[in-house]
Amino acid sequence: MDWTNRVRAAFMRASHIPDDDVIEELAQHARTMYEVARADGCSHEEADRRMADQLDRWRVEAAALHHRSRRPPVVAPPPAVASSRFTGLVQDVRYAARLLRRQPRHALLTILTMALGIGATTVLFSVTYGVLMKPLAWPHSDRIVVLKETRGGSAPRFGAFTNAAYLAWREEATTIEHIAAWSQRLVTLSGAGEPERIRIAAATASLFPVLGARPLIGSLFEQKDEALPVIVLSEGLWRQRFGADPAVLGRLVHIDGQPHTVVGVLPDTLAYPDRQTRAVVPYSIRPTAGNYLAMFNAIAVLRPGATAAQAAAEGTARGRFASDTGLTTTAIFGSNGPLEITAQPLRDALTADVRRPLVVLLVAVGLLLLTATANVASLQLARTTTRSREMAIRAALGAGSARVTGQLLVESLLLGIAGGAAGLAFMWLLHGSMPSLLPADFPRVDDLGIDATVVAFALVVSVGASIAFGLLPALRVRRLNLVDALAEDGTAPVGAGVRSRTARARMLIMVGQVAIACVLLVGASLLGRSFLALLHADRGYDPAGVLSARLSMPVTMYPAPERRFAIIEQILNRAAVMPGVTDAAFTSESPLTPGGSTSAFTLKSREADGALVSVQASPRIVSPRYFSALGFRMIAGRTFSEHDTETSEPVVVVNHAFARRYLGDSPLGSRLPVAGYAPPEEKQLESTVIGVVDDVRYVTVANVSQPELYYSHRQMRGRLPVQTVTLLARTSGDPADPADLRAAAAGLRSVVREADERLVAEAVLPLEQRLLTTLARPRLYAVLLGGFAGFALVIAAVGLFAVLSYTVSQRSRELAIRAALGARRADILRLVLRQGLTVTLAGLVVGMLASTWLTRLLSTQLYGVAPHDTLTFVLVPLLLLLFATLACFVPARRAARLDPLRVLRGG
Amino acid sequence: MGINALERELKRGSTELLILALLEERDRHGYDLARLIDERSHGAISFHVASLYPTLYRMEDKDLIEGRWVEKAGQRRRRYYKLTKTGTRMLASQRNIWENFFDALNRVARIRHA
Repeated sequence: MDWTNRVRAAFMRASHIPDDDVIEELAQHARTMYEVARADGCSHEEADRRMADQLDRWRVEAAALHHRSRRPPVVAPPPAVASSRFTGLVQDVRYAARLLRRQPRHALLTILTMALGIGATTVLFSVTYGVLMKPLAWPHSDRIVVLKETRGGSAPRFGAFTNAAYLAWREEATTIEHIAAWSQRLVTLSGAGEPERIRIAAATASLFPVLGARPLIGSLFEQKDEALPVIVLSEGLWRQRFGADPAVLGRLVHIDGQPHTVVGVLPDTLAYPDRQTRAVVPYSIRPTAGNYLAMFNAIAVLRPGATAAQAAAEGTARGRFASDTGLTTTAIFGSNGPLEITAQPLRDALTADVRRPLVVLLVAVGLLLLTATANVASLQLARTTTRSREMAIRAALGAGSARVTGQLLVESLLLGIAGGAAGLAFMWLLHGSMPSLLPADFPRVDDLGIDATVVAFALVVSVGASIAFGLLPALRVRRLNLVDALAEDGTAPVGAGVRSRTARARMLIMVGQVAIACVLLVGASLLGRSFLALLHADRGYDPAGVLSARLSMPVTMYPAPERRFAIIEQILNRAAVMPGVTDAAFTSESPLTPGGSTSAFTLKSREADGALVSVQASPRIVSPRYFSALGFRMIAGRTFSEHDTETSEPVVVVNHAFARRYLGDSPLGSRLPVAGYAPPEEKQLESTVIGVVDDVRYVTVANVSQPELYYSHRQMRGRLPVQTVTLLARTSGDPADPADLRAAAAGLRSVVREADERLVAEAVLPLEQRLLTTLARPRLYAVLLGGFAGFALVIAAVGLFAVLSYTVSQRSRELAIRAALGARRADILRLVLRQGLTVTLAGLVVGMLASTWLTRLLSTQLYGVAPHDTLTFVLVPLLLLLFATLACFVPARRAARLDPLRVLRGG
Repeated sequence: MGINALERELKRGSTELLILALLEERDRHGYDLARLIDERSHGAISFHVASLYPTLYRMEDKDLIEGRWVEKAGQRRRRYYKLTKTGTRMLASQRNIWENFFDALNRVARIRHA
């Protein structure tokens, strides 16, 4: 016979159905009774009848057959008076641990909340610390400064420093010990294994003394070696490609086909500017003779005692003695004004553009931690209320308030430290994938990690948070009234649920949580909308469905520009007939970012009565279909046609910015020099403006369009004067369908290989994806803040739910009396909802006020959306109200469904 | 107060004492407690099993006893009760009270107790 089912069936008609626990116990009892009766010789019928009687009696007392739903801690509390301070602590810890084991759900919720809060804070701290605060690896990094040069206040179009200033300063420097020049480039490394593309730095020998670098093996080159074909490998490259073989010294490797002798290996810890730079080759600074300006990056190490400002002043003074390089200066700087040099400490220079976002995110995660801590405090507070009897008994047995408070704090600490440990574990898991989670151009990724500082931070945060969330309940216990707490009737007086000190504290916490969720949501919404604006901004062309690839044809591979021309012609002709491709083109400069080649010339102004004006523009060589492949809008005139050949009149297409700035109202027909790309034998060649295309909008926060000139490669006398081009293919398939794009990508690769099997189409990617990588930082910031905001929203909703559920249970008597006196269900529902929504509204008001003030921090990160964006400031409160209503509705409905009779009978 | 009412009050007051005393010997389950109370009082104090469990649960709520499910090899899961520290203290004080009470009864009404 299934006794459990029989007992359960017997209670079906009872006023109260006991818990499964009780039913099982009664079933065991009934079974034993039956078995004993049978053993005594009763018939089955007789034994069964006795059982039926028994069940009837149980049913009568059904209401009394229940355990208390919240069971008091049956763990023996530690002795009221500890024999010594230390044994007291040990007892407290043991007691707290046992208590938490008995309430695994509560403990798990707390630990999880704290783990997320502390974990997120620690991760962000480790990034902020690693990037902004940690000392750099180079021995005297605090004295290293990054140098920048401007002319007449305008920065160069590319590079940061000129040979003019460098040479003028180097010889007579007093504020700096060494100055070094460097630049990076992508090269093909061959010899010793498969050829591979690597990034290397070309640097003056002074780079090593500036960094204070010593070789792992071999030696580093010196100034006298700057003209020699030598190479210093990075430790990483040496291990990966040469198996850390010391015999690598003296071996030859090929860089873009040129032999270089390995002279040394640089330890990875000292790699500059980052570990992705796999080797260093010498770079020698040429003088400015013949208006030659070389552009590079420059760093210097200050003499002990000198400041960056002094160095900048000295550099500026000495740089002004440099010889004038005329129009070349205008080409590069857009001005030939007075030279100015700035010096910025290396760490600041590396991290300048991530400083503000990191600080904003750190503030956000701090708020998140605050709201998580407040949530736990609120939970603990509710728990102390239900445990007040336990506390009162302990106090009555002689425990001083310090002892009781201490024990509560120990409990909180245990929870907090468990949360902190879980947070660190989370951090540890994440740490390995951090470099891949962060945008590729994020500074100092190599410096991120878990070290003593990060662990100490996590510990301090855990302990701080534990004390914060343990303090409120502990303070409450200090004020505990023994008589009230021990009074038999556990039901709170009317109004206790809303007006007690604890209830008020929890309400206040709720207001804060709603406010924090509001601030974070506003921030996330602004960054999210800004990211979407960046993504969908009108760029002046249509990147959807366009495939791009980089093609490098180094002069070492093709000494003759005629050969490069033939190759590109072949590739374009084949690509144009690939299935699914509507247009194939190339450009000498990527359309995605500003900069690139630059040129300057003088022009007779039509408007200023033929006065000469200095023009600075970026000349680009494109194939005729370039404009249709990228979907440019024409503003006036036409683009290149089949008739624009090397025998026809040279023509040029200008962009809107150029036309506006230099050509006035009627740009078509103007005559311009063939800037930068005139054939060597025809330096004075002019071209006629045949069309104006819309600007490429480099969608950034700065958002400027630069003057650009487009020349057709067909008019270059059968030569291709550049070595690196970007190939573009517009596909006719669905731009969103990855299969179409994959097929086109494979086609493009094989077209390039067929042209010359040594050639490789690099970085074959949809243009939209390349755009996304330029948007990686705004996306990361938006995603992180969005995550924090979502978490804060959930915490606020859960908190609201818990607080209201608690007040409903505390007020059940009051609500029942109201119901008995004639309040309808809708009235009760409204009453409880109003309580929850009042708190929410108060939180919203605080949150919105704080937001209007805090969003100013974000203003430099926003594109296409104002810091006080109306939509955000309308939608966020609505979203919060929706969540709050949902969170309040469940307890409110429970309150409305209370059975007044049962509540008042004490059932 | 009628005789029946007196008997009922006496029983109610003493049930907790009986349970505490039985649990002092060793941990027991509900059926065991009911049987022992019946046997040891020679049937004089047999109270309905119906009120045993409410009593046990009330005592558990007051932290006098603690119930837990125990599974012994080859037997069904049973809920065993044991004395808590509070229960032990309560038993001692109740014994004391009843002792004094019986002494007083004996002196006044000449009722002997063992």
